[in-house]
Amino acid sequence: MVRANGITLHTQRLDPPGPAVDGRTGPTPTAVLIHGMASDTMASWYFTLAEPLSRAGFPTVLYDLRGHGRSDRPATGYALDDFVDDLAALLAALDVTGPLLLLGNSFGGTIAFGYAARHPERVAGIVTVESAPPIPEWMRRVRERLARVAARLPREGAVTEIGVRRGRVAAQRAAETQRMLSDTTLEQELPASPLPPAEALAAIGCPVLCLYGGDSAVVELAPEVRALLPQTRVEVLPDQRHTVLIDRPQEVRRLVFAWLAESCSLDVTQSTTA
Amino acid sequence: MASAQDTILADLTEMIDAVLGDFADDQVVTMDTTFSEDLGMESIDVIALAGRLQTRYGDTVNFAHFVAKLDLDTVRELKVGQLVNHIAESLAQADEVGAGSR
Repeated sequence: MVRANGITLHTQRLDPPGPAVDGRTGPTPTAVLIHGMASDTMASWYFTLAEPLSRAGFPTVLYDLRGHGRSDRPATGYALDDFVDDLAALLAALDVTGPLLLLGNSFGGTIAFGYAARHPERVAGIVTVESAPPIPEWMRRVRERLARVAARLPREGAVTEIGVRRGRVAAQRAAETQRMLSDTTLEQELPASPLPPAEALAAIGCPVLCLYGGDSAVVELAPEVRALLPQTRVEVLPDQRHTVLIDRPQEVRRLVFAWLAESCSLDVTQSTTA
Repeated sequence: MASAQDTILADLTEMIDAVLGDFADDQVVTMDTTFSEDLGMESIDVIALAGRLQTRYGDTVNFAHFVAKLDLDTVRELKVGQLVNHIAESLAQADEVGAGSR
């Protein structure tokens, strides 16, 4: 548990068991894994990419976003800037001062871009899964998505039905998401977030990898992302949906490590086993 | 070995109660208890437990790496006994190798 930006954030670190990543001048970036909004927690990264990254030699930081998992849940303060402030304060509290490799799932990727727009000199690379930078079209879709979840869960029997279809733990999580949406202003604040100026986003110069599920609507944003950040490598995993990170961790891992080697000149070959 | 496991199981039970807080059941935790089905622990609770174990046993056990190596499906089926055995083995190995090494 780490105190940052006035709240307590549930944080986990995985230190590399072996030597640091090779083949690069300058210090090894710290990998920071940022999960998605509403029903997500650091678990989606912890059980997929965290250990492989740390074994490859990256000091790895995971945290639960405010309102999520085991972090504090203030009633308000859920605009993009609040999440970016949390990340900056967390890194300061952890004394992480070197370059960063930011990985974000869904809206976690948007937080990564938001951080990079404010601190471009800190970010050595960005990987997003099913995400986009904070641009109006993506925020419109986030608004719709949140509204749909917020309307569905409080309905009588909705959580029970999830329990019948997907088990007790899934029902617990759905109930938790419903509590979060009713106890906070996230549903209203997040889609109405002030956005970084387009030129600040366009000035992000680091390598970018954007992964999408071929059957997810989010992939429709890929052309706009590439127009904004031409260095972006886009990879589409066929037949996959928004939950591609937890549904296809091996393929995500392979694509991320290939990109790290090719676009970031990081020697991560030692880590591709298991 | 058996008594070492008993001690670890007792330790682990205390930490599970601390992680679950108000949601802890009164049920007895055994080697066959599953985290997900029996204890109703979500994956995030397992991570919180991993953090506590890392604090308790340090790098000797490398517990976070053990847990993080599991995938989400395996975590759902994880039994308390698997963790107890992993801890017991790591501690025994550390004793053999001697202090100061992993």
